[in-house]
Amino acid sequence: MSVSVRGEGLVKRFGRGEAAVRALDGVSIALDDGVIAALLGPSGSGKSTLVKALGLVQLPDEGVIHFRDRVVARDGLAVADLAELRRSHLGFVFQKANLVSFLSARENVEIAARIGGQRDPRARAEELLAYLDVGHRAKAYPEELSGGEQQRVAIARALANRPALVLADEPTAALDKERGRAVMELLRRVAHEQGAAVLVVTHDHRAMDVFDVVYEMEDGRLTGPLARSRDDAHAAAPTSAT
Amino acid sequence: MNLALRDVRRHLPRFVGTAAGLALLFAVVIAMQGIYAGMVDDAKILTRTMGADLWVVQRDTLGPFAEASRLDPSLVRRAAVVPGVARARGYTYAIVQREHEGRTLRLALVGLSWPDDRGAELPLERGRELSRGRGELIVDRTLGLDLGDVLPLGDESLEVVGVTRDTLTSAGDAVAFLSIADWHSVVDASPDEALRLERERARARLLGTELGRSQPWLSELAIDPRWRAPVLPEPPLHAVLVDVAPDASPTEVEARLAGWPDVRVLSTPAQEQVLLDSVVGRAKLQIGLFTVILTLTAMVVVMMVLYTLAVEKTHDIAVLKLLGARRPTIAGLVLQQAWLLGLLAYLVAVGIGAMLYPTFPRRVVLTDEIRFLAPVVIFVVTTGASLLGVAHAMRVDAGKVLEG
Ligand SMILES: Nc1ncnc2c1ncn2[C@@H]1O[C@H](COP(=O)(O)OP(=O)(O)O)[C@@H](O)[C@H]1O
Ligand SMILES: [Mg+2]
Repeated sequence: MSVSVRGEGLVKRFGRGEAAVRALDGVSIALDDGVIAALLGPSGSGKSTLVKALGLVQLPDEGVIHFRDRVVARDGLAVADLAELRRSHLGFVFQKANLVSFLSARENVEIAARIGGQRDPRARAEELLAYLDVGHRAKAYPEELSGGEQQRVAIARALANRPALVLADEPTAALDKERGRAVMELLRRVAHEQGAAVLVVTHDHRAMDVFDVVYEMEDGRLTGPLARSRDDAHAAAPTSAT
Repeated sequence: MNLALRDVRRHLPRFVGTAAGLALLFAVVIAMQGIYAGMVDDAKILTRTMGADLWVVQRDTLGPFAEASRLDPSLVRRAAVVPGVARARGYTYAIVQREHEGRTLRLALVGLSWPDDRGAELPLERGRELSRGRGELIVDRTLGLDLGDVLPLGDESLEVVGVTRDTLTSAGDAVAFLSIADWHSVVDASPDEALRLERERARARLLGTELGRSQPWLSELAIDPRWRAPVLPEPPLHAVLVDVAPDASPTEVEARLAGWPDVRVLSTPAQEQVLLDSVVGRAKLQIGLFTVILTLTAMVVVMMVLYTLAVEKTHDIAVLKLLGARRPTIAGLVLQQAWLLGLLAYLVAVGIGAMLYPTFPRRVVLTDEIRFLAPVVIFVVTTGASLLGVAHAMRVDAGKVLEG
């Protein structure tokens, strides 16, 4: 079990003086390959800020981020090509699907695969859409897709470059219970079948059983990992990666 | 997969509408350049159609197109015998405006030195050169007259025997060619009363002399309408056109003629320059200014359109950045749309031009220079106009996508 991404002593401040907020207040976390982790916590506790930090989108002011045992950011400064890391190793899923509005479902996945340098981006896109049961909607534009379909396309896009790390920020918030559950199951398959490290921000306590580990945030501080039947989870996780 | 094209495809009607509007602006700019080129060409037509090597004009003047230039008609004969001169012709020029069948005709009358010059070298579209010394006229087709039409001018009734194309002055007036004799009777035509007074004056002068008093019957001759010679000088010419013999040196002939005390000699390029300076000098400034203003307007319009397109795509751009899209890819999205807009607008402008320019009252001449420069300028303008949009796209923060 190797560590995918690790943050140490992450601090992120917003604002100055009286109004200053410590969105991350000394957070350390390590996400393992093949493990799906939940990140819980009240609104405003810093969950999205942590996802952005680990996703190398918005670097924290202090602390070190390792990716595959390599330091990639230190105290707010990039020490590696972050865009290249995002391109090749990271997949994002958001509350809203955030698909590119002027591209069809297939093209949304294809562009990610193309940016990531996949050999046959189009074939990769078609394969992933089929894997996520939205192959029949490949030609539709995002606005023509239902919320659940959009979210599945977004997951397909996140997987386009066989990412080592998938970050999902409230991916089921816009979905009904059944569809939310289905998306969570999908993300679990991504971790267990594809061997990715998966971090999912969620409010949905009913779906806790899909997660291998659970973290909680409160006022910028992280508690966890609280192993939820850790041994069961690993027993259920085949280590093969596609 | 080209992102710019995908986005255009998604917003096709608006994109095409914008391009069409832009095309109108471009069509106007190109038209103005074409009109200017047409004016320059028209200015040269007057000299070019005459096909002379040298223009002999009154001393200290710039010739008939700039000011009054009066030469004694005997100059034709004098010039013709100068060594190296193949042919010398008289030339007269005037603008006249007449009512004809309810229309106002404005035309530039060019007198040809019949019978040496019958208009054989004119760009005839229909009809023929002059075959008689009086009563015939060759006109530009823009005058709307046809072969056989009779145009009353002054005391003369002139029959149209030839129709030329592209013989306009730089002011856009059609040129009509006729014999110098007809030219004088049209342009110098005096009202009957003026002639009667002139004859009375002649009779009074005659009666004031010894001869008149001793031969009173002579005074009857003075007021006879058929009798005019002694009281009126032979009417002047405005220029004498000289063709240099093929084996003679034009500069030598020019130097020889320039030695005469009463004339100035202009080579054809010099005469063309006079026409250009006097007629299109100010128009050039004016048109240049309009062109700059319209080009800037087009640039601002393109800039606003592209900026709006980029702002509307802020979220999409953020997503693409999050996926790790490289900066050139993002900039290319905006830039390529700018070029696409410019290309589409240019093509539509060319189409509009092909349809509209021939109906313009002024000749629109699309020189090779204009054909080459128009796309280049449009490329530069659209590239420049895209900078605001590109700057916006570059500033988009990928992290924003994760919010909410
Ligand atoms: N861009 C920002 N500018 C200012 N404050 C921010 C910004 N992003 C987040 N915050 C603040 O940081 C804290 C944590 O925000 P966030 O990570 O979005 O919380 P969560 O995702 O857990 O709801 C909140 O107090 C929020 O107001
Ligand atoms: Mg959040």
